[in-house]
Amino acid sequence: MFELTVALRFLKEGRLQSLLILSGIAIGIAVLIFLNALIGGLQVDLVNQTVGSSPHIAGRNREQEPRSVLGKVQQEPVVSIVATAGSAEKPLRNWTNLQEQLAETGKFTSVSPVINGSGFMILGERSLPVIVKGFDLEEANKIYDIRNKLVDGEFSAGRSAVLIGTELAEELKLSPGSIARLTTPTGETVTVTVSGIFDLGAQAINRSWVILSLPGAQTLFGLQGGITGIEMQVEDVFAADQITRILENRFPELIWSSWQEENANLLSALNSQSASSYLIQAFVLLAVTMGISSVLAVSVVQKSKQIGILKALGITTEGVSRIFLIQGALLGLGGSIIGSMVGWGLITLFLTFVRTETGEALFPITLGPGIFLVSVVVAVFAGMGAAALPARRAAQLNTVEVIKNG
Amino acid sequence: MADQISLKNIGKTYGTKVKTTVLQDVNLTFARGEYVAIIGQSGSGKSTLLNIISTLDRPTSGEIYAEDKNLTELTENELARFRNQTMGFIFQFHYLLPEFSALDNVLIPYWIGAGRKPPPDKVKLAKNLLERVGMADRMYNKSTDISGGQQQRVAIARALVNRPGIILADEPTGSLDSQTTVEVNKLLREINKDFKTTFIIVTHDRHIAAECDRVVEIVDGRIHKDYLTSGLEENKKWQDLAPVYCRESNGDCNTAGMCPSGKETG
Repeated sequence: MFELTVALRFLKEGRLQSLLILSGIAIGIAVLIFLNALIGGLQVDLVNQTVGSSPHIAGRNREQEPRSVLGKVQQEPVVSIVATAGSAEKPLRNWTNLQEQLAETGKFTSVSPVINGSGFMILGERSLPVIVKGFDLEEANKIYDIRNKLVDGEFSAGRSAVLIGTELAEELKLSPGSIARLTTPTGETVTVTVSGIFDLGAQAINRSWVILSLPGAQTLFGLQGGITGIEMQVEDVFAADQITRILENRFPELIWSSWQEENANLLSALNSQSASSYLIQAFVLLAVTMGISSVLAVSVVQKSKQIGILKALGITTEGVSRIFLIQGALLGLGGSIIGSMVGWGLITLFLTFVRTETGEALFPITLGPGIFLVSVVVAVFAGMGAAALPARRAAQLNTVEVIKNG
Repeated sequence: MADQISLKNIGKTYGTKVKTTVLQDVNLTFARGEYVAIIGQSGSGKSTLLNIISTLDRPTSGEIYAEDKNLTELTENELARFRNQTMGFIFQFHYLLPEFSALDNVLIPYWIGAGRKPPPDKVKLAKNLLERVGMADRMYNKSTDISGGQQQRVAIARALVNRPGIILADEPTGSLDSQTTVEVNKLLREINKDFKTTFIIVTHDRHIAAECDRVVEIVDGRIHKDYLTSGLEENKKWQDLAPVYCRESNGDCNTAGMCPSGKETG
């Protein structure tokens, strides 16, 4: 294509000018990619820390069986700490069917039936309010990663073998093998042996959770094979909200909630962070576009003789426009390819040199080909957009004027 | 000979508030193969006339016909196409594209017209043309690396590459030294004879005008004289080609050496 050849020659002849604007575009695109990857990595890391080891979606029975707790409260006020209103929520029956149906959708990385209840852990004179969790341990492990977070003892829970958190163990001076009593607000009591101690990273959990096996909790709370809720993790954490809406339609008998609903503050913080990042990126892109535009505007003046002669020799006005649009696109393409490499280099440097005290990377940054592809496409279109005005001016150049003035 | 280009009542006015009339009631026809000089003082409107004939400029009034096609009715892009296929251009300031080699420059009109890279036979034609104008050994040089006369030779080859019926030249030797001027003149005339190409040359160089078959003299935007030179005495030719003011003042400016008293030797 003739216009492409002319565009290439024009860029090649304006060596310094082309190099400068290419560097400008490259820097802009590098910043774009770096910022994007950084903010993206940071957010993924934050979200992972927040919900990586907790259920993304939880379902519980719509009707709760009101049971008076207050009558049975011993020593300390419990209600504020204990999540559920009663000693146990109204049980969900036939839950195996529900679990199967959920698993069949293929959307969930784990579907874990749970029993939530409140109780007291008693050792001698000391008694602490706890949240009793009945887990299918293997399934729950996929969500909470308990096995890897065990600090002492072994990973098992049964009818009378429990896992407890580090804080609770410390307060009651419990260690693996220790025996304590677990009492429900309704007065059911079971003697339990501590099989392991975990640190799930959150003080509230480490202080209050006592993990039993599912049958153990069923017996303790008299649920007769029922459970009180179901917890799931999904592949794409940000899809949790949407999936929750689907579940609400399909299983209206349950109350569904997503992690997003529980973490509205975090989400709004992430959103404003993204917004400011996008704003910066938009302005960088605008500056790059204006740079291309001004360079091409100067080029139109510099090349006015050539344009005039090409028009005399029969190039159409569209042909002249194309010469400059192609230049814009080429600058965008070249600049963004260089910029992609620089951006990749910046991120590599960041990951190599910016580290925590222990020498680990601050947070993981994953660079897919997508960000580079998007940058290149955006830069090419920005280049063409930037060239639009100069191209118009070039096309409107009056051949007679150019030729007359030597 | 058939009329190749004809101008009917061409007028050209510049400005909207203060109107300057550059051309008025110009009626001209050019036949195929003619070798015509348009002469006149600077400001007489001769360049404007050439620009209108070459469709680079549009007349304010009147019409131009190429054979039976009314050029004044065509759009910009149709005119561009028309120019590309039927006209060759030679300008005073050479105007090669400095980004391209001499050979590439010659091929540009083909490239524009066909929209694709020239095939081998066109490249061969371009090389032959460069050879014809004596530039065979410089065809791969950047057009900025060759002298003015050489650039004008390349421009002449470029004007020929699409085999146009008409070549329009605006002061083709205006920025060349006298030796080169003679050579370029000779070349143009040879091409006219060899390719039967019509030449319309705007010039104030009487050497060129004297070589032409026909001279059109423009004074104040009107055709002052339009005559065939063939058959005229050399001396008569030179007298006729003298500037108007010399003839009217009856040789008063002879002392300044501006008007010929006979055939000049320089």
